[in-house]
Amino acid sequence: MAHTILVVDDEAHIRRVVSMKLERAGYEVITAGDGEEALDVCRQSPPDLIITDYQMPVMTGLEFCQGRRQCAGAEHIPAIMLTARGFDVSTEELEDAGVVSVMDKPFSPREIVMVVEDILAGCKAGEGVGVAGEVEGSREAM
Amino acid sequence: MASTGKFGSWWSILMAATAALLLALAFQMALWGRSLLPRGTTWILPIVLSVGVGFGIVLIYRWSLGRSIHKLSQQFQSMIDSREAGLVMLPEGDELAEIARPINAFLSTVVAESNRLAETNRELSLEVRLAAAEKEQVETIILSISDAVLVTNRFDELVLANHAAEALFEFGMDGAKRKPIDEIAGDPTLVRLIREMRNKAGTTSGRRMVEHLIERDGESRVFNVTLSAIREGSQDPLGVVVVLHDVTREREIAQMKTDFVSSVSHELKTPLTAIKAYTEMLMDGEAHDPQTRDEFYQIISSETDRLYRLIENILNISRIESGVVKVVREPLSLTRVVKQAMDVAGPQASQKGIVLESRLAPMYCQVEGDHDMIYQAVLNLLSNAIKYTPEGGSVRAAVEVDERRQVVGFEVVDTGQGIPVKALPHIFDRFYRVKENNGMAKGTGLGLTLVKHIVETVHDGRLSVESHEGEGSEFRFELPILRG
Repeated sequence: MAHTILVVDDEAHIRRVVSMKLERAGYEVITAGDGEEALDVCRQSPPDLIITDYQMPVMTGLEFCQGRRQCAGAEHIPAIMLTARGFDVSTEELEDAGVVSVMDKPFSPREIVMVVEDILAGCKAGEGVGVAGEVEGSREAM
Repeated sequence: MASTGKFGSWWSILMAATAALLLALAFQMALWGRSLLPRGTTWILPIVLSVGVGFGIVLIYRWSLGRSIHKLSQQFQSMIDSREAGLVMLPEGDELAEIARPINAFLSTVVAESNRLAETNRELSLEVRLAAAEKEQVETIILSISDAVLVTNRFDELVLANHAAEALFEFGMDGAKRKPIDEIAGDPTLVRLIREMRNKAGTTSGRRMVEHLIERDGESRVFNVTLSAIREGSQDPLGVVVVLHDVTREREIAQMKTDFVSSVSHELKTPLTAIKAYTEMLMDGEAHDPQTRDEFYQIISSETDRLYRLIENILNISRIESGVVKVVREPLSLTRVVKQAMDVAGPQASQKGIVLESRLAPMYCQVEGDHDMIYQAVLNLLSNAIKYTPEGGSVRAAVEVDERRQVVGFEVVDTGQGIPVKALPHIFDRFYRVKENNGMAKGTGLGLTLVKHIVETVHDGRLSVESHEGEGSEFRFELPILRG
């Protein structure tokens, strides 16, 4: 069965291009326009992986990742964070929120698919969360 | 004459009388010896004669001595009257000339000493005047410093405070002098710092800088506090000078700039991300049909425009702020400009189910201005109103002419979440974003700054805002009506 990926971004164009690329790569994609919507998805049908933007209205990507730690079934889903940098977020905060990889904007859809494959392959091999993605983003990387 | 000692004068008379008596006796004997005078004749005549002569001599002597003493006394008296020491003058051969010499020697040392003292006195009084003027100057400087200054003595009592300190700690200097500092400042940390500085001053450098937070009226302000010990030589400190420099605003600006860079970075990178991603999709042949390909090209094109607009916004503010903007002034109808802006903002409103109403004065009302700039200002206000109004709300735009005040006004009223009272004074500041409304919409904190510059700096108009939290906001600008 195909893995389900939740793509969270307030920009419709970005949501569309990321989900299109992932679908072409054989994944099932659910999209959300902000953290609130994304939390609903996590509560109802937890995905296998989360890709979320950092700066969004309502709540930041980090707040969403922290929030879904309270959603049954979604606590341990690995997350990829898309950022434009310039935010003071520590590696510890990211790790605590279950973020396993940070990708800088502008990113390449090809690269996203590669990172997603790595993370999911790591999960499948039973090596747990964070194999493909030790957190790349440090304080200055964000 | 009475000033001569009574005893002395009678003693001299007695002496003179005795001498005269002896003289008269001798004279009598002599006369008897020569039998010029028959024995048994009376002694009375020669005795009386002798006593008379003796008295005469004494009286003459007393008179001359008295005159010298009177001269001396007069000269002393005139010295006392004129408060100036001089020399005493007696005629050559005077009885008292002998005394006058040492007196004069003494008087000349007195004169010299008195002159020296007078000179020292003049110098000292000059120094005192200078010191007083200097003290006044220093106090004026301290009083007028915008940083709060407190000076305490070795007992931690307040001895000096300037106006800024009075305002900060809410006290009046009149009743506060020599009061314990903890009664004045009422800030335990600050009082502790002052005590430490006074106690330790002998062992430390005598100067210390700390950052300190002071809460006033529920508002916390950050201060750079400089404490310096007042010392004379290596003795224990005589007191402490405390200077409190408010850095709250500097910190806010620094934070605003950081936030601005983050926002701009995000705002610039978002369209850039779309452009890069869609280009890659096209290159990878992910757009299978011509329709999708066209759609992708369209997205790349519109995101490029968005990037361009954002950069223009930033540049426009910089240009207006630095005064190098090129303004094209022409007669124009504010109503027409507002209509154009409403056409553009319309889709944004209907997407959120917001009703966009308008009440526009007829087309002829004209102002003089730069069309593109005024269009930009109107569009920014309209799109802000739409951005910060929840779904289902309403936004009303109006243009009206005030003939009496000779102005054309534009206003936009929304039913949005409003602006908190404490944020209102900063709403037009560059980089400023209302924290509470951050979640509602994205922005760079430049839109309203640009509107203010366009209306007030470039067009001599007036921009104002009224807002009630939870009810909505009203932005309004007025431009001078075009005459003729």
